[in-house]
Amino acid sequence: MKKALMMNEKDNVATALEDLDKRTITSVLLPSQDLLKEVTTMQAIPFGHKLAIIGIKKGDKVIKYGEVIGNASQDIELGDYVHVHNVKSNRMQMPEIWYREEA
Amino acid sequence: MKFHGYERSDGSVGVRNILLVMAVADCSEPVARMIAEGIDGAFAITQHYGCIPGQMVANTLIGVGENPNVAAVLLVGMGCEGMPAPALGKMIKRSGKPVGWISIQELGGTHNAVSKGKQILKEMSEKVVRSKRKEFDASKLIVGVKCGGSDTTSGLAGNPAVGAFVDMLVDAGGSAIMSEPVEAIGAEGPLANRARNEDVRKKIYTMIGNEEKRWSVPGAQMEFMCKGNVEGGLTTIEEKSLGAIHKSGSRTIVDVLENSDRLLEKVPEGGGFYLQDGTHMEPMTMSFMAAAGAQMVIFVTGCGGTFGHAIVPFIKVTGNPETYRRMPQDMDINAGTIITGEESVDSVGHRIFEEVIKVASGKATLGETLGYDNFSVFRTDPRLEALLNLSK
Repeated sequence: MKKALMMNEKDNVATALEDLDKRTITSVLLPSQDLLKEVTTMQAIPFGHKLAIIGIKKGDKVIKYGEVIGNASQDIELGDYVHVHNVKSNRMQMPEIWYREEA
Repeated sequence: MKFHGYERSDGSVGVRNILLVMAVADCSEPVARMIAEGIDGAFAITQHYGCIPGQMVANTLIGVGENPNVAAVLLVGMGCEGMPAPALGKMIKRSGKPVGWISIQELGGTHNAVSKGKQILKEMSEKVVRSKRKEFDASKLIVGVKCGGSDTTSGLAGNPAVGAFVDMLVDAGGSAIMSEPVEAIGAEGPLANRARNEDVRKKIYTMIGNEEKRWSVPGAQMEFMCKGNVEGGLTTIEEKSLGAIHKSGSRTIVDVLENSDRLLEKVPEGGGFYLQDGTHMEPMTMSFMAAAGAQMVIFVTGCGGTFGHAIVPFIKVTGNPETYRRMPQDMDINAGTIITGEESVDSVGHRIFEEVIKVASGKATLGETLGYDNFSVFRTDPRLEALLNLSK
């Protein structure tokens, strides 16, 4: 089964350890490598990118490494692709010059 | 662990025996390059901020000249600079190594300057060639850590493996140093928790806070994350920073080394992990680390990188198995084995330590084999510092 890894037990996102197609049942591993649960991806998620392992409401904290990496700019569902289109930094926004191409 | 290095008269230990030809400003660079050409172990460097570049640049050039990897220095000046070659030369000479300087104008132009420069350099070279490597304890090592072209494997594999190495080096009595304050934005808490005392804790917040002000001037679109970071899965500066600081390991942060017009602080004796104020831009950070006394730098990359440094050997580690497969001629260490589940973080950390010892004892890094000799210096803009009230 395809895998994604949590970096800390407080995290609400996990990192894809391989390319995940849309609607892939994915094993979400705890930092100890033990299985937390299985999550079905809602979109395709490339290797190294993040998926939500619980629903995150607009404005809520997005947590990786046990720390806040930004806040949800829209509601994020379980299994959603989590990236620049639905998370905003609380510190510095990326230059729009190329950021728009990503969304 | 022991390595074989070159003993310097100030008690430091070099891992290379460089004959440094330093053009004090880029107007003398072509002559400096001609002097270095064809002489074994000679490198020409310069800086690009003009001939009155400010004290921060002078501090860096002096520190680089004093770096233990540098066996001897020949400074090349036009003669009319505001930062004259003799002034820098006299400062570097305090380290006890052979230092000379020439003025192109005084010697009567290119041909005379090149032939005089080559003559001085050859005399220096004869002394340098006679020095032999001796055995030293790993506690004599000062290693910089830096990441760039990061993707999410940097936070998952490359940086944790380098962090494991940093802990091993510090536990063996050695020193490690990390800079790139912009890549600590959002990661202040985990760093501050490792501060040796309240004073160091405050310095960490001040260094990162000042850098955030420099990059957050309203109306200015500043690129602090590259497109490759985002394509590699990094969403925000906080995420990039939290992954980046993994390479600093987990030991106490002994101090934040000042790097300003006032002072470029060196890594003190006694070992431990240090932060250095500076920049996140790779070759420039390495020049700062070299000026602070680092003998080599470990570079962690996700996307890949093909550059090096003239003064400090540069060991490249990638946490991305695909990058290692695609760029084997450039990546010294594969930490992608952590991603594929073949190896633990500690095991890769051990491999990095073994490679550091080999490189410290003379093994060429892939970058050295390819001839990479980047050198550039950075200075904060005195106008911006004054406008933001950050001047020291």
